[in-house]
Amino acid sequence: MRLGYVIGRVTLSKQEASYTGGRFLVVQPLSVRQFQGGPVSPLAPGSSVVVYDRLGAGVGAMVGFTEGSEASMPFEQPTPIDAYNAAIIDRVFYRPPTP
Amino acid sequence: MILARIDGVIVATVCHASMRGCRTVICQPLDERGGDEGPPVLAIDPHGAGEHQTVILSTDGSTTRQFVGDPKSPLRNLIIAIVDGAT
Repeated sequence: MRLGYVIGRVTLSKQEASYTGGRFLVVQPLSVRQFQGGPVSPLAPGSSVVVYDRLGAGVGAMVGFTEGSEASMPFEQPTPIDAYNAAIIDRVFYRPPTP
Repeated sequence: MILARIDGVIVATVCHASMRGCRTVICQPLDERGGDEGPPVLAIDPHGAGEHQTVILSTDGSTTRQFVGDPKSPLRNLIIAIVDGAT
């Protein structure tokens, strides 16, 4: 599971029936610098991820999302999903050891 | 299974049902020399590992699904042991 900021939404006109009830978010995974309080920008290096969301996260929220085969586990039928929003993060307490 | 260091915790009120009540920590994966490798990841921590402790992190989803008791859980990372020493 990784942490990321929601930087946008994806709107679909046609979609797989099993996607019903959720929506898609564009999520920028947090880099090491952003963990340490660096700026969040939609143009930051590294690719963003499209994440399936049933919790209702909005743009600007921090989310924890799972990737890989586990992302499709919550669905009743086999569903082509690669990233699933598992949590909307309220607070982060991050303190790496000082060198 | 990889070695990781606990660098923090997160608080999430709105989350998947299988995550409720689970302590979720921020883990920094470590390389063979004990240095940082890649960005931190989140993991479920049933053992209560302390800050900056080294742990073994399992990235196997089926183990985690068994632990949380939900076959439909999307969770993947689980802390399975606290390391005393690694050489």
